[in-house]
Amino acid sequence: MKNPLIKRVPRELATDWHKYLVIIVFLVLMIGLISGMYVGHDSMLAAIRDGRQTLRLEDGSFELTKKASPDLLESIGSGEMADVRQYYIEKGIREADGEVEKAMEEALDSRVREAIEQGVRTQCEAFGITDEDMILAQIDAAIEENYDSAIEEARASEEYRTASEEAYEEAHKAVEEAVEEEWDKIAEEYGLEDAFSPVPVSVYEDFYRDETEDHDLDGTPDGTVRVFRSDSAVNLASFNAGRAPETDTEIAIDRMHASNVGVELGDRISVGDREFTVVGLLSYVHYLTLHQSNTDLMFDAFGFDVAMVTPEGFDALHSRVHYNYAFRYEESPADKVEKAEYAENFLKALLTQTLTKDNEIDGYLPEYLRQASNFAPSDIEGDTSATGILCYILIGVIAFIFAITISNTIDREASVIGTLRASGYSKRELVIHYMSMPLIVTLIGAALGNLLGYTLFQTTAVNLYYESYSLPRCTPIWSSEALIKTTIIPLVLMFFINLIVIIRKLQLSPLRFLRHDLSRSKRTKARRLPSWSFLGRFRLRILFQNMPNYLVLIFGVIFIELMMCFAFGLPDSLDHYGEIASDMVFSPYQYMLMGYKDSDGNVIETDGSSAEPFGYETLLYPKARKDSVRSGMGSGGDESVTVYGIVHGSTYVDLPADLPEGHGLVSTAFQKKFGLKVGDEITLKAEYENRSYAFTVDGTVDYEGGIALFLNMEEFNRVFEKKEGEFSGFFSREEITDIDEQQIAMVITAEDITKVTRQLQHSIGGIVSLFKYVLTILAAALIYLLAKIIIERNESAISMVKILGFQNREIGSLYILPTALVVILCTGIGFVAGYLLMIRIFRIFMLRMDGYFAFFMRHSSMFLSMAYLLLGYMAVSVVDFLRIRRIPLDVALKNMD
Amino acid sequence: MNEGFLEIRDLRKSFGSGEAKQDVLRGMNFTVGKGEFCVLLGPSGSGKSTLLNIIGGIDTPDSGFVSIGGDKLEDMDEKQLTLYRRKHLGYVFQMYNLIPNLNVKENIEVGAYLSDHPLDVEEVLTTLGLQEHKYKYPNQLSGGQQQRVSIGRAVVKNPDILMCDEPTGALDYKTSKEILALIEDCNRKYGSTVIMVTHNEAIKYMADHVIKLRDGVVRHNDRNETKIPASELEW
Repeated sequence: MKNPLIKRVPRELATDWHKYLVIIVFLVLMIGLISGMYVGHDSMLAAIRDGRQTLRLEDGSFELTKKASPDLLESIGSGEMADVRQYYIEKGIREADGEVEKAMEEALDSRVREAIEQGVRTQCEAFGITDEDMILAQIDAAIEENYDSAIEEARASEEYRTASEEAYEEAHKAVEEAVEEEWDKIAEEYGLEDAFSPVPVSVYEDFYRDETEDHDLDGTPDGTVRVFRSDSAVNLASFNAGRAPETDTEIAIDRMHASNVGVELGDRISVGDREFTVVGLLSYVHYLTLHQSNTDLMFDAFGFDVAMVTPEGFDALHSRVHYNYAFRYEESPADKVEKAEYAENFLKALLTQTLTKDNEIDGYLPEYLRQASNFAPSDIEGDTSATGILCYILIGVIAFIFAITISNTIDREASVIGTLRASGYSKRELVIHYMSMPLIVTLIGAALGNLLGYTLFQTTAVNLYYESYSLPRCTPIWSSEALIKTTIIPLVLMFFINLIVIIRKLQLSPLRFLRHDLSRSKRTKARRLPSWSFLGRFRLRILFQNMPNYLVLIFGVIFIELMMCFAFGLPDSLDHYGEIASDMVFSPYQYMLMGYKDSDGNVIETDGSSAEPFGYETLLYPKARKDSVRSGMGSGGDESVTVYGIVHGSTYVDLPADLPEGHGLVSTAFQKKFGLKVGDEITLKAEYENRSYAFTVDGTVDYEGGIALFLNMEEFNRVFEKKEGEFSGFFSREEITDIDEQQIAMVITAEDITKVTRQLQHSIGGIVSLFKYVLTILAAALIYLLAKIIIERNESAISMVKILGFQNREIGSLYILPTALVVILCTGIGFVAGYLLMIRIFRIFMLRMDGYFAFFMRHSSMFLSMAYLLLGYMAVSVVDFLRIRRIPLDVALKNMD
Repeated sequence: MNEGFLEIRDLRKSFGSGEAKQDVLRGMNFTVGKGEFCVLLGPSGSGKSTLLNIIGGIDTPDSGFVSIGGDKLEDMDEKQLTLYRRKHLGYVFQMYNLIPNLNVKENIEVGAYLSDHPLDVEEVLTTLGLQEHKYKYPNQLSGGQQQRVSIGRAVVKNPDILMCDEPTGALDYKTSKEILALIEDCNRKYGSTVIMVTHNEAIKYMADHVIKLRDGVVRHNDRNETKIPASELEW
């Protein structure tokens, strides 16, 4: 025979349908959303993983100042280090040979001339010629006549040969000695003495040009487009719509950028000084996010674009070609650690080979540090862990609500339980009985939630990712992780939380159930209360009596307030950053030059009235993370720090002229992010060399826009071993137009700072507003459930006071007011806790990223984050009051036992 | 009739400690035969409910023992006591303690589920006159009807002992007599030993065995030569 108690479950569901409906809807939405996110996320990651293979993603790339010779490419491909010592010796000898040859020639010349002159004078004296003019004329004539033969004769002499050999030998020796003396420094600089094993690679041309893009053809550039050739053998693109370009007037651009700026297939856009027709919308495998530079805090799918044109189309453009080369390892590294080793070894080969073959490296980036290909997958991965935790917290809250409901049911059904236990029902049977409801409800929620997760919400999640990143196409895949995290773990959580509470509750003897003696408190006397009015004391008693319910309520409210701070604070922080960004930049334009001299060797100048030269270097500040394999090389693991050299009397940055050597000022963003203080010593590392620089912090420059260190120009040039008068670019208040574009490496404007916020606002704006409303409903639902429990628990007492003659209004004030006070108090405390916690969470979040901006909440948002919750509570209070009015008088009489 | 089916020996029980200590049972001795209708009679505070709870295995004595069919309850752990109650006892309380969201038939099935050899639920419903109410919920029944259901829940197990704690305490005269008649019927029809706690002197006339308690001890231990049917009792 089946246990007849099981029949209670569907009836209880039907009787209390509104409560269970709230819980089930809550679970379905939550589990559905999270399951959808997991399925979407797994499908997306699978698509990205596949793309890495099929679209031949690079293992890394490097950029050279000029096009590499076939010899250099072959050497780099071998992965072997060049013989730097020999290179320096040969280079030194070449230079020394030139010097020796010049000196020898000069000495020969003067010796021959002297000899001829001496011969002429001796002859003149013999002939009695004393006229000096005549003698000089004779000398000139003799030189004219005999110089070449005399030189030939002297060169052939033994004396000359001996002197020459000695001079060359001495010079060569001096060169070798000099290289030897400098060798330790050179070896350390390039890590030549470290362990090395060659990493053979295949090198591919992946040249690009950064052109201006005018997508609305209004004549004003709207952003930058990085143009690649369509015949590339690596870093291919997947086409979400359209096709690859086939003529020199066709172009395919990034799908995400096109969607952001409203460009469609068939539209015409201007790139550089040419017009193209958009024939394809693509996603490049190495540009899943549109990071223009690897050190960008955030990608910018509005102001930056990547595009594909035919080789002819590429050649027809005019801006500087970036000689970027992609490489793929001949043998794939096994893991992250090996990836880092490969990258480090390859860098040594690259550095030495380019050095010895007359080229220079402008950039080097192993793929595993590449933000544009790794930001999206790692962000997608991060998404789920955060939502997973959110899910568990909410399930935990629901489980506690269930546990309290069941605990109250057990209290109410004490006599029945006592009778059942006295009749022979075991504790186990009763535990199973009371456990069945939460588990069944969770199962229903999980089943419906998963159904929605694989259908509606999966599409929503994938669309959300498409809104943020330039991702390839994807199809839903089965996610066992989703099942575990959205069904198994919630069930386990629900099971254990309820099991613990129910077992503890059913521990009492049958007799105590029969006697309704369920209190575990050893307290024998009632708690003494202050001499307030009767109603005040009554309320206080209600408060104490419902303490467990209020504890869950307090936890729930604090949790919701934290979420509210997130929902309001995140867009506020972004808006705030965007608003103050233009005030933050100390120079509206920063022109970074290729070099301070042009190809003719003239120092680059400008007539711009506000232009001021500055020095610029990028160094790395190690973040305090020991788990990162990235540290030490490239960006990503370390914070990128811009070091500025500022001229005396600068109109852009106010820097004390008398800063001692090795001292500088840090930007306020730098100071805040890493908690720096005056007097602190910071050690910055060079990005591609094994060199470090120590600086002492002397104060701050009010600059929130970036992580920066400011030095006096002389100090800057001294530290970075620059020549006197050398500089990296110009600060300017207006656009500079008189410098050749080929000389300009980059222009940084206020917009480059605000692009971070613009992209984030676009990516998360929709979801954050949705989040606010969902949280308000969640807050109301949570308070509804808890307030319902409190009223239900006191039904009999409420009925009794009704019998005694209390009016509904008075009863409402007795039972609703304590809850209201608790909710208001918790909202305040919750807000403060949530706000402080968000500041901390935000800082930790920022430490994981490059750059910095602080958490910010408007006063109106602070007010609204509490008002939303209180509004939710007000609605619940009305329902509560109606519920109190509906409690019949006979409830108390029926429970007289 | 098995004379020593239920044996109570030197049973003692007190509550509280120190000056507040109250001896409820002070050395109680008696036996009840199998199939007997035994009434434990006594005023309020005489220890009759405590005695019933100890016999039922839901309370424990300070000393002495209860033995049923030769098995001493004091030797049983909690699991065995649960099993003992499950296999051998049926409980009827003054308050009916029915499960509100199960109907009459299902409330009786709650008892049947516990037994290895339960009575036929339909037959019990007929015996108790509940056939026409079997699909009603407890709150649709009168007090008397609810007590019938609670008796049905206890009887359907076909228990060796039917424990009744003031089963008519909350009922009117007429309904009380009906309930007593039903318990009498069950005793006769199914052969269960009945131990009924009451303070109603009149009820002793329908019993085989009357034990009068006062101040925690047995004052009288009598057997009725002739019994009066419950329907003829007057008080």
